[in-house]
Amino acid sequence: MDFDQARYARDDRYEPLLSEKNAAREEIDDSPLPDELTRDAVELPGLSEPELARHYTRLSQMNWSVESGPYPLGSCTMKYNPSFTEDVAADPNAAIHPDRSPRTSQGTLELLYELQDYLARIGGMDAVTLQPPAGAAGEFTGILVAKAYHESNGDDRSEVVIPASAHGTNFASAAMAGYDVVELPSGDDGRVDMEALDAALSEDTAALMLTNPNTVGLFERDIVEIAEMVHDVGGLLYYDGANLNALLGRGRPGDMGFDIMHYNVHKTFATPHGGGGPGAGPVGVVSELEPFLPNPRVREKGGNYRLEDAEDSIGKVHGYTGNWFVLVKAYAYIARLGDAGLSDASAKAVLNANYLAEQLDYEVPYEPFHHEFAATAGDRDAADVAKRMLDYGVHPPTTKWPEFVPEAMLTEPTEIENRDSLDDLAHAFNAAMADSDEELENAPSRTTARRIDQVGAARDPQLSWQALDDE
Amino acid sequence: MTRGSPYAPHTEAETAAMLDAVGAADEESLFDIPEDVRFDGEFGLEERSERDATTLLSSTLAKNKKLTEFLGRGHHSHYVPSLVNDLSRRSEFLTSYTQYQPEITQGFLQVLFEYQSMLVELTGLPVANCSMYDAATALAEAARLSNRVRQASGHRILVPEILHDGKRSVLDNYVAGTDLTVETYPMDDGNVDVDALSDLADDEVSMVYAENPTVRGTIEERLTEIGELADEVDALFCLGTDIVALGLLQEPASVGADVVVGEAGALGMPNAYGMGLGLFATREEFLRQVPGRLVGASEDAGGKRAYTLTLQTREQHIRKERATSNICTNQAWVALRTAMHVAYLGPDGLVDLAKQCVTDAESLAAELSELRGVRAPVHDRHHFREFVVHTDQPAKAIASDLESEGFAVHVVSEHKLQVCVSDLNAPKVDQLVAAFEEVL
Amino acid sequence: MFEVPEDRKYLESHEYATTGGDTATIGITDFAQDELGDVVFVELPGEGEELTKGEEFGVVESIKAVSDLYAPVSGTVVAVNEDLFDAPELVNEDPYGDGWMLEVEVADEGAFDELLSAEEYRDQTE
Repeated sequence: MDFDQARYARDDRYEPLLSEKNAAREEIDDSPLPDELTRDAVELPGLSEPELARHYTRLSQMNWSVESGPYPLGSCTMKYNPSFTEDVAADPNAAIHPDRSPRTSQGTLELLYELQDYLARIGGMDAVTLQPPAGAAGEFTGILVAKAYHESNGDDRSEVVIPASAHGTNFASAAMAGYDVVELPSGDDGRVDMEALDAALSEDTAALMLTNPNTVGLFERDIVEIAEMVHDVGGLLYYDGANLNALLGRGRPGDMGFDIMHYNVHKTFATPHGGGGPGAGPVGVVSELEPFLPNPRVREKGGNYRLEDAEDSIGKVHGYTGNWFVLVKAYAYIARLGDAGLSDASAKAVLNANYLAEQLDYEVPYEPFHHEFAATAGDRDAADVAKRMLDYGVHPPTTKWPEFVPEAMLTEPTEIENRDSLDDLAHAFNAAMADSDEELENAPSRTTARRIDQVGAARDPQLSWQALDDE
Repeated sequence: MTRGSPYAPHTEAETAAMLDAVGAADEESLFDIPEDVRFDGEFGLEERSERDATTLLSSTLAKNKKLTEFLGRGHHSHYVPSLVNDLSRRSEFLTSYTQYQPEITQGFLQVLFEYQSMLVELTGLPVANCSMYDAATALAEAARLSNRVRQASGHRILVPEILHDGKRSVLDNYVAGTDLTVETYPMDDGNVDVDALSDLADDEVSMVYAENPTVRGTIEERLTEIGELADEVDALFCLGTDIVALGLLQEPASVGADVVVGEAGALGMPNAYGMGLGLFATREEFLRQVPGRLVGASEDAGGKRAYTLTLQTREQHIRKERATSNICTNQAWVALRTAMHVAYLGPDGLVDLAKQCVTDAESLAAELSELRGVRAPVHDRHHFREFVVHTDQPAKAIASDLESEGFAVHVVSEHKLQVCVSDLNAPKVDQLVAAFEEVL
Repeated sequence: MFEVPEDRKYLESHEYATTGGDTATIGITDFAQDELGDVVFVELPGEGEELTKGEEFGVVESIKAVSDLYAPVSGTVVAVNEDLFDAPELVNEDPYGDGWMLEVEVADEGAFDELLSAEEYRDQTE
């Protein structure tokens, strides 16, 4: 495929900054407040609507997205985001204030209640909170729930065990909750090393955090035994939901012995990533842990929905009820797909990953993988190969992670690509690998910007247009 | 009809050919899941056409009563121009990921760089990140930041006694894993009781938090003193505010704020049932301790200015348990909408909107005070958007009656309501006053 | 081949300390700077602070990695290379010269005995 990304360029920059188009200054001289309580002036871009429309349209054209082409970032699940979910979330009836009485917000409460139920069924959990505004917030919530549970038993535990190959958020979330992190090395087969696990678990273990399938797409086949080992020392088993798209309809964390899980609705349930967020990270738990979930919970009685605070709750992890509009979109997606659609999503996601891997001239050290696989760039620099892939009109996979795979290229095509597009993707992988070192180092050349100097950005941080003016 | 996912494009022939290519008999055989933990796929969830799913949701949401909301207390909205709705929905923005490949995502990076710059202008502080989840988590992150930069002394976080419950609870949870403790200081007629705060402040204090406007809508008059007081005990001064208030009230840097947090989603978003956009800005010296993502300017190989996520070693994907925060997915798309809204308003529009927040609240309070058995504002202060109302009759009953008339207001206590006015509900102020008269 | 000068001793974690004077100059090795890649930030203790052998005294960062710095010897910091704050690239360009980090008044002369010689360190990195 011949590809060139849009590029509006002039002299030493691309699209000028708003401030470079017109910086306007408003002196505040007729404040309704006393002068000493009023700022002197505000200086911001002052542009007309047509100028802004063009600015943002051009910027959008200089941005890659799922609707532009393949976006196979491993562990990110870049699915198509159905248009109708945006329309549904834009319903004026959804735009309500959180401090309304339950009596006047029955629609919102019903939807939240139903979504709690949907997610509980999908994860095999007994109770769900929708409050955490992202996956990491879900992890933090789940670990706080675990902590509250142990404390309610008079049990003071200090450690959370996490595989070395886990998402970085796992470590950070456990540490934020005040736990020491015990890192578990990966076994030779890419899965949990049972001996190492046995050594790591103790009466200090509050929880083991696990992704399944793991971060190279392998199912932890010993999961039942792992759950027993964790439970035997009085610990809880936490499921990181980042890879749930591989399991939909074929396995439920609750059935495997997990006690707590979070769902990444912006991955599994197709809500848009929005250039980095917002997402939502609902948390499901087994019934023993339900009393500790964040307040308030949505309850139903006789068709009437209300908000209820529980005494043993950990309290709140978001100022209100989380990322409401994101939850609406997730609900819409699940309501559209139902059992058949959800099961088919995981089937096609796994089929696509397997088909794509089959077309690649790369070694894939760990099998059998599911929705994602870690190819290795061998003696090439995975980051350079990725930059070169951009020139072939696709987004590259996640690179150099997980670290136990040398020069890893963690690839997750999701269910949305058809065979042609997987073939295009495979071509980009293989062509980049066949290109010379020089071609790799000089890539990309067909994207808006050429290779960007990361080192310069970090050595001399310029984080605002004001900082540029100071140069 | 069990056709499967409408968003998986495979034809049956294609599926068969792909299975053949990977040497699998069927889809099931691709799953390496032991029999004892296999699930049969029956969640009991119905599949629907797009139209039916839309109808289901719209009929559910229609059960929300149509009300004119005079509600605020930390969650605010203003008229959102069509430009914002229209352009933010461009799929190139909406369906993109975090900018880990900056060369192909310059558009979004520039938007976030512009958003950061707008906050730098409005706060007067040189470093703003490209979002926290909401005001509550931004405040909580500020407390954790104070713990990292003020390690030598201090574990006490001082917050106003009227701090919003949600913020307080989130703060408690975020500091639970540290040695920080949260304590409250008293208020004096709606504003910080500076003398009482002064008595509480000592070397053990890590951060002093104040809000402008406060949760009751009052505007602080002694912020500089609060800043100095924090400075004297080597504590951070964290100021909570919102993006519209920043357009008129004292510039945070000018009163000595070390960190500014608050709600930026007051622009760019309709009422969102509490979904927000946490703003976070701070001083240069704390740059390496900032939570969340930062976009910086650099150069590309062609010598042109280009943008990239930077200083990522602060973040969880590199520093793991020693990261400044666990945040990964943030509120980037909300920041995009907010930046668009700010750009749409321009400096004159933003200042005018902020002025209106003062004058509309003032005039509505005066009108309500005309009514028998009503006194507003309760606090003898300047107000921004909202104010507390004293009612001789029980406040709860009045609010409930107003609700039947189609208006929502806050109940603050037995004889106190809180009313919030913005450009959205301002045209209905007369009807609200009439409804008050009706129900009193 | 990475440079490993003979006039200093080494920790397995890739810090060096010069020998032969009342004070020791501390930094990271050529091998370490190459492993890290372009150094973008260095965090060091101030003058007068005490280092304890084997314990962390600072941080060196590249774009994609953060490394703790461990003290090869115990002692008091008498000089800090402040040039590194504005020009961290000196660590890459000249790790044993202009890229030095601290000068430390050595608390215990015998402390050097437990460190790796140039030859031993060279063996470790090969």
